[in-house]
Amino acid sequence: MGYGHWDDTAYRAGKTYRARHGVDDFGYTAETRSQPYETWCAHPLLDPFGVGTRECRDSAEHGESLPVAVLFDVTGSMGKVPRIMQDKLGTLHGLLRSRGYARHPQLLFGAIGDADTDRVPLQVGQFESDNRMDEQLRAILLEGGGGGQKSESYELAAYFMARHVATDAWDKRGKRGYLFLIGDELNKSRLAARHIRSVIGDHVRRDVSVDSIYHELEQRWHVHYILPNQSSYYRDPQIAAHWRGLLGQNFLKLDDPAAVCELIALTIGLGEDRVDLDTGLADLRDVGSADEADAVGRALGAKPGGGMRALPPGR
Amino acid sequence: MNNEKARGARMFGDSHLVVVDLGFGDAGKGATVDWLCSPEADLAVAAVVRFNGGAQAAHNVIADGRHHTFAQFGAGTFAGVPTLLSRHMLVEPIALAAESDRLAALGVPDPLGLLAVDGRALLTTPIHIAANRAREDARGSSRHGSCGRGIGETAWYALEHDAPTVADCRTPSVLRAKLDRLAAHYDALVGPSAHGYEPIDALVAMYGDFAHAVRITDDGELRRVARRGRLVFEGAQGVLLDEWRGFHPHTTWSTVEPRNARALVAEIGGTAAVLGVTRTYMTRHGAGPLPTESALDLPEPHNGTGPYQGAFRQGHLDPILLRYAIEVCGGIDGLVVNHLDAPATLCAATAYDTDRGVVTELVLGRWRDLDHQQRLTEQLSGATSILVPIGADPVPWIANRLDVPVVLTGHGPDRRDRIAHREPVPRTGNRPTLSSVTQVPA
Repeated sequence: MGYGHWDDTAYRAGKTYRARHGVDDFGYTAETRSQPYETWCAHPLLDPFGVGTRECRDSAEHGESLPVAVLFDVTGSMGKVPRIMQDKLGTLHGLLRSRGYARHPQLLFGAIGDADTDRVPLQVGQFESDNRMDEQLRAILLEGGGGGQKSESYELAAYFMARHVATDAWDKRGKRGYLFLIGDELNKSRLAARHIRSVIGDHVRRDVSVDSIYHELEQRWHVHYILPNQSSYYRDPQIAAHWRGLLGQNFLKLDDPAAVCELIALTIGLGEDRVDLDTGLADLRDVGSADEADAVGRALGAKPGGGMRALPPGR
Repeated sequence: MNNEKARGARMFGDSHLVVVDLGFGDAGKGATVDWLCSPEADLAVAAVVRFNGGAQAAHNVIADGRHHTFAQFGAGTFAGVPTLLSRHMLVEPIALAAESDRLAALGVPDPLGLLAVDGRALLTTPIHIAANRAREDARGSSRHGSCGRGIGETAWYALEHDAPTVADCRTPSVLRAKLDRLAAHYDALVGPSAHGYEPIDALVAMYGDFAHAVRITDDGELRRVARRGRLVFEGAQGVLLDEWRGFHPHTTWSTVEPRNARALVAEIGGTAAVLGVTRTYMTRHGAGPLPTESALDLPEPHNGTGPYQGAFRQGHLDPILLRYAIEVCGGIDGLVVNHLDAPATLCAATAYDTDRGVVTELVLGRWRDLDHQQRLTEQLSGATSILVPIGADPVPWIANRLDVPVVLTGHGPDRRDRIAHREPVPRTGNRPTLSSVTQVPA
C-alpha cells in the first residue's frame, strides 16, 4: 500500500519528523560519543549482561510467531556498513509482511564487536513486531572499535543466541528461526569463558570450541553469515573459507550493502517456501529495487549462466 | 488590452485572496498561487491557507528552474511563504513527510518549519486509505473516480464517529483508542481486501514524531498571521467537484467552493476577493460528465492516468459549466485564464442539445439538494454540446462571456509566463447570443 515501496511508510515519515526536531537516527551513538570512552556502555534495552532470556512468543494477534534475528558487526573494519544496516533494517519487517514472505515475523536486532578490545562487544535487543524495533536500532551503539586481528566476537553472539533465547516456534512447533550474522572477519579461535562471564554474566569456567557452539546454534536456527561489500575483507579468501566451512551454502556475499534487507527477506521467503528465487527477484524489481534485486540475485547465486543453487529448506 | 506587468497590490487593495478552480481541477491554481506569492506580484502575502481537500491535491508549480507538485504544502512555498493548514483540511502526515523531503531536495530550507497545522483538522490515516482502495476496488467498473487517497473515507467516517484529529497526535493514548476504533470499524471491508496498513503502534509512534516536528495551532492563528500581511486561500480540486454543488455522485467529499474560505476571512474581520481559475479548455481526471469532451490531444506533462482516478480527459471550453461554477461561488471578483500557450482549440460551447431540447444554462438548485445535482448529471450525460468558434484572442471573449474581468493570464507553465492585467480585460462587450451561434464539428 501507500507511498513507499514497502509498508514501511510510517517508519520513513517518522524519520523525517525526528530529523526536524533534532533526534538523530543514531541518537544513542551520538550521545555516547560525546561522553568519555571509559563510560561507554550498551543501552539498557540492548545490554546482554544478566538478561536471562530474550523471548519470541506467540500472541493472540500473531498466532505463529517466526523468530528472525539480525546481528551486525559494528567494528571499524565494517566501514560505513553498520550505518547502512541501521538505516535499512528498519524496513525489514514491512518487507517481510508486504510480500507475504513471513506472516508473523518477530525481529530482534543486535550488534557485535570485539570482546578483547571493545567497551561494548555485544548488544542484543528484544523480539518485536512493531515500531519498537526502530527504537532498538536507534539505541545500538556504533562503537567502531575492533582490534585489527581479523577476528571479532561472533562466537560470543552465537553463544547468546544458543543459550539465552527462547522461542515458541521451537518450543511449540519444533520450527527453527532465522539468524543472520553480518560481518567481515573471522570468529575468535575459541569461545572464551572469560568473555562469557564478563559480557553475558554466565558462570562458565571452560572455553568452548567455535564449531561446537555453532553446531548447538544450528539445532534451533537457520544460521546465515552475510559478508557485505565496502567492508575490509570482502575479497579475502580466508574469510570465505572460514564461514563456508562453518555454515556451508549459508555463507552469502553481498556486493551492495544497501540490499541487505532485501537479501534477508528473500532468504526467509525461500526458506519458508513462500516464493521461488525468480519470483522473489521479480518482486524486488516490481517495487523499484532493481539495483538491490541484482545484488541479491548475485548473492543467492542467480547469475545469468550460472547454475541456480538450492537454498536451505524450511525445516 | 493592457498587458503591462502590474503591481498586484493596486489590483486587490487590502483584500485577502481566495483562489478556486472553476472546473474539475488542474486549471492552474498552483501556478496562480505561486505567482501571487512571488516577489514579482509584490502582494505582501503572509501565508497561504489551505481550506479544503487533503493530500490528493496536485498543484504544479514551475519557478526559478524548480518544479514541484504541491499536495499539502501551499503553492507559495517556493517563494518562502508559510502555509497554514486550516481546520477544514484533511491532513495526511505520511505523505506530508514525503513531500517535505522532496521540497528539501529542491533546496527549500526546512520545509516543515514553514508549516502550521490547525489541531482540529481531521487526520487521514493508512486505515482510511486502505478502506478507500478496498471500496473502490469493489466498485469495479462503476468507480467514482477517487484518487485512492482516503479523502472521502476521512470525511465520511468523521460525520458519524469521533475521528482522529491532528491535535490527537500529541496524546498517544487518545490517538491509539481512536485508531483502534477506526480499524475495528473498517475491519470487515479492509480485512479480506488486498490492502492493509502498518501496526497501529507504528502509526502512533510516527504521529507522535509528527506532532513534535510540526507547529500545531488553534483558532487564533489565522488572525495572528493576517496581522503580518495578506492571506491567500488556496483551494484544492475544482468547484464543479464540490460535494454539494458538483455533479453527483462524481464529486469529492469536500467543500470546494469558497464558502469556508469566506467564513474564515469573516472570522478575522477581513474582506476577500475570489479569483476563479480556468484553462482555455476543459479537463477532467476520472469519471463523470464532461459535455464538451473531445480528443484534443493537448500536451499534459504533469497529469497521467492514475490507477484509481482513471484517465485524464480534455474537452473544449465550456462557458455554460464555468458560468454555473461562478454562480456556485456566489460570484467571483476576477478571472485567471491559463494555458493560453496551448494550441488553440478555438471552440467553445454555447448550448447543449439534450433529450429535452436546447439548454444554455444550468439551473442552480438548493444547497445540499443532491437529487437536483443528480438530475444535472443526467442532463449533462445525455448532452451534445453546440460549439462556436472563438476569435484568435480568447481572453476578451471569455471575459465577456463570463461577465468577469480577467486579472491574470498564463502563457506557459513557468512563473515568468504569467501576465497581470492592471486594467482588467473589459467585460462590457456583448455576450454572444444563441441566434449568433453557428455549429461547428466537435
